[in-house]
Amino acid sequence: MNKIYGEGETAVHALKDVSFSIKRGELLLIVGSSGSGKSTLLNMIGLLDRPTSGKIFLDGTETTTLNDNKISSFRNSKLGFVFQFANLLSDLTVLENILLPRKIQRTDKNAIDDAKKLLRTVGLEKQMNNRANKISGGQAQRAAIARGLINNPSIVLADEPTGNLDSVTAEIIVQLMKSLVKKLGQTFIIVTHDKHQFGDVDRVITIKDGRAFEEEEPKGMEVAAT
Amino acid sequence: MDYRVHLAKRMLTNKKGSLIGAVLAVSIGILVIHVNFVIFQGLYDAIVRDLKDYRFADILVTNEEDYIDKNDIALINWFERIPGVEAAASRMDSSASINATSNGKKTEEFRIPVVGVDPLRDTRVSTIHDTVGDGQFVFARNSIVLGSRIARDLGGVQVGDDVKLKFVDKFGVDKIKRFVVTGITSSAGGQGLDGSVVVHIDTLRSLLERPDETGAILVKLNDPTKAVEIKDFFLRSFPTDDFKAETIEESAEAQLSGFRSGIALINLIGYFGMMSSAFAIVTIQMMLVSSKTREIGIMRAIGAKRKDILILFMVQGLIIGAIGAGVGTALGLAYTFYAKETKMQFEGSLALEVTYNWEKIIQTALTSFALAIVASIYPAFRATRLLPVEAMRTV
Ligand SMILES: Nc1ncnc2c1ncn2[C@@H]1O[C@H](COP(=O)(O)OP(=O)(O)O)[C@@H](O)[C@H]1O
Ligand SMILES: [Mg+2]
Repeated sequence: MNKIYGEGETAVHALKDVSFSIKRGELLLIVGSSGSGKSTLLNMIGLLDRPTSGKIFLDGTETTTLNDNKISSFRNSKLGFVFQFANLLSDLTVLENILLPRKIQRTDKNAIDDAKKLLRTVGLEKQMNNRANKISGGQAQRAAIARGLINNPSIVLADEPTGNLDSVTAEIIVQLMKSLVKKLGQTFIIVTHDKHQFGDVDRVITIKDGRAFEEEEPKGMEVAAT
Repeated sequence: MDYRVHLAKRMLTNKKGSLIGAVLAVSIGILVIHVNFVIFQGLYDAIVRDLKDYRFADILVTNEEDYIDKNDIALINWFERIPGVEAAASRMDSSASINATSNGKKTEEFRIPVVGVDPLRDTRVSTIHDTVGDGQFVFARNSIVLGSRIARDLGGVQVGDDVKLKFVDKFGVDKIKRFVVTGITSSAGGQGLDGSVVVHIDTLRSLLERPDETGAILVKLNDPTKAVEIKDFFLRSFPTDDFKAETIEESAEAQLSGFRSGIALINLIGYFGMMSSAFAIVTIQMMLVSSKTREIGIMRAIGAKRKDILILFMVQGLIIGAIGAGVGTALGLAYTFYAKETKMQFEGSLALEVTYNWEKIIQTALTSFALAIVASIYPAFRATRLLPVEAMRTV
């Protein structure tokens, strides 16, 4: 897959022949320095943007040829998103935010119980009726994770989910995601520029200048980096 | 509740400033139209009312080119037998030169319109007798009621004073007669006979040597909406006479046509006001959309379709339109009520004839409501063009 932003002289070749696959239940880290193309890659996988060339298969469906409505439905039912900043709709409560993907899917009949269960899992049941802009950054990330899980997606995508948090709170979020991989078998793709935070993970892909490198031995990379 | 409607409501209630701004834009647009209507239509209707009450009644019967020579009592009886007719009375218009002697000094002579009335019948078709603030209405053959402007021009003639009028009769002969001033008439807004004098119709007839002639028959109806019907019936019933019969709208046409184009202009300004309200809404909605760029991105990222975003902002427009139309109409009605209850008038002018024109009120409310929705189309469309990657923006 390739992604080129812009045209002509100002064109940026953000992803160059990137190719990989991910299995169900894996936690995949995408690492790399700032501007290397991590977010661009996540946008492609998350169907938020289209690649300039190449194909993306999700649960066996080739997604790059789908129309906007189909892709929206795909994002809604097969993907969950955790962003770095302001993940939630500030006009809604925490609970309403978590229910939103179900409402969009129109399967929100008995969704409240599911939402409350997820709120317990991420430890936010006390804050569920707070306005989303009245909770802390760490709580907002946990709420975003809960929202990301409500539609039982195939993959949860997170772009620097701890980038905006202090180290203690960041650690809580990291452990939460790792435990979700273990307990629920939930697939995660997480972009970070600080892989140490995550300790041992299933796989790591390093992006450098738009090219992806996969190392079987993340620890070896670490040595190489120092 | 549909999440889009719910979210639209929340977004607006959390942005009170924008909501209030947008609602004010709509409601002020409506209020301006109501105020314009109360004042200018009220003034117009007041003028129509006064012209009708003082000069023309509901139907005015005259002769095509001369005085009516048919017996006036017979005509009055004919009218008063028709259901829907309340009363009829004769009048006669002429002119004369007037002068008075005040403090032993003779005033300069000038020409004035003279209105001859049948004192008993006239009070049933016209309220001109009520405008006699000082003294009383014409009652005797030699009594005269002066319009307030005439009394002033004569150097402050008062009730009880004498005035002298010089007429030219049917045969071109001068006729001079002395009258006793029994009253001074003055009407708010001056649509009455402030610039004329009123005498007994029979006095005028004999002075003009026209004993069996009549200037006009004023017909007052119980139900003014029947005016055209009764007028037509009258004209059909007297096909060979040269009668001319006009409803108040027709007889007052000369005085009113200019005013009507004025009202049309004012209405146009009102509709421009509404248009500017619509532009205000476009601006406010554009601001709302751009302040929600990231949120729209998040919604798109978690699966909302373009259509959902469109609906969200169209519902916002609908809410703004509904509240604005409600508030604006309420304010407009409050103003109308106030104007009606206080018999609003402007500094010595005539009291406005305030009416509730429900058709116009509803039409104005619906138009503003619809405009608010139309004004939301472009911002809502712009919102649908925002990309899901907006959610990822790091700044
Ligand atoms: N919308 C865009 N238009 C043009 N260039 C972009 C756009 N988004 C990202 N880029 C460029 O693509 C490259 C990769 O960016 P990004 O994927 O955001 O990097 P990372 O997330 O690893 O910091 C950068 O050079 C960046 O300037
Ligand atoms: Mg990035």
